[in-house]
Amino acid sequence: MNCQLCQEESDAYRAGKLADDIRIQVEEHLQQCTDCTESYRLQSLADSVINKEKEISPDVNLSSRIMARIENQEETTYKTIIPFTRVLKPAFIITSMAAAIFAGVLIGNIYKPSVRDMSVPVELALINDVAIESVDILSNE
Amino acid sequence: MTDIEIINIILHGSRDKFQTLVEKYQSMVFRTCIGFLHDKDDADDLTQEVFIQTYQSLNSFKGDSAFSTWIYRIAVNASLNRVRKNSRIPILNRLESLFDNGKEKKISINAYETEDPESILIKHEKSKWIQNALDTLPENQRTAIVLSKYDDLSQKEIAEIMKITEGAVEALIQRAKKNLRIKLSASYKKKK
Repeated sequence: MNCQLCQEESDAYRAGKLADDIRIQVEEHLQQCTDCTESYRLQSLADSVINKEKEISPDVNLSSRIMARIENQEETTYKTIIPFTRVLKPAFIITSMAAAIFAGVLIGNIYKPSVRDMSVPVELALINDVAIESVDILSNE
Repeated sequence: MTDIEIINIILHGSRDKFQTLVEKYQSMVFRTCIGFLHDKDDADDLTQEVFIQTYQSLNSFKGDSAFSTWIYRIAVNASLNRVRKNSRIPILNRLESLFDNGKEKKISINAYETEDPESILIKHEKSKWIQNALDTLPENQRTAIVLSKYDDLSQKEIAEIMKITEGAVEALIQRAKKNLRIKLSASYKKKK
């Protein structure tokens, strides 16, 4: 077995997943090669450090702390919305109403109804309607 | 009850149901975070951030992938952002470590009671050495190795989270292991 093959198989060897014949070859190579032995030891050390870190558990109150933070954040968001609902919203409604009234008055002033010319033409004024014979008289005949 | 059903209940106003999801996935998110940060307090803090971010963007979860895949993506992105942020302020970190006496807070009280200080320090030094080597890996190799070694995910699951092919994941993990081996051997020879 050469060094490259030994290093490729070292993970499986450490995990005890190698077939007997290859395991024996790896062991024989490790006994002869100082570089591979050193590399194998370093990898074993790295694995043990990683396994040690994996054993660390999160804080027992972690989930409660997370939920408390979420609750706090939502309350803060609600509090920032409150000024809008309490002050800005009524102010917005009043301003809108005032603007609507003002617009109504403005439109009312712009509208001018057409005024009828009630003056009587001179020709009509000169007609002596007393002298005009009544239609009733004619119908009676 | 499935994750999708729980999410629908939450979206219909039952905020408390989110705790079910937190309890189900907190260990998994925490492991990812500690894989990147190597510090319990930092990982706890980041796990909180991840879940708050998840809650806030819950309505954007379409259900195209599993909820676990989605939350892993959020955890990985948040971890990478935190790592980048930490690397941008190394001077501040160094100052902090001066006042904090390094990362001594990592050593548990139980360890002091059962082991002699010398062996604790040696173990601590070894851990720091390995963690530093892991931290120098490129981001994609580091993500693949964290998901593989810390979360024990299959190549298929890692491929879904990283949105790459399974072959690419395998290549990333092999390269990460090779790089780690080279970095550790080089620094070991320096120490000798």
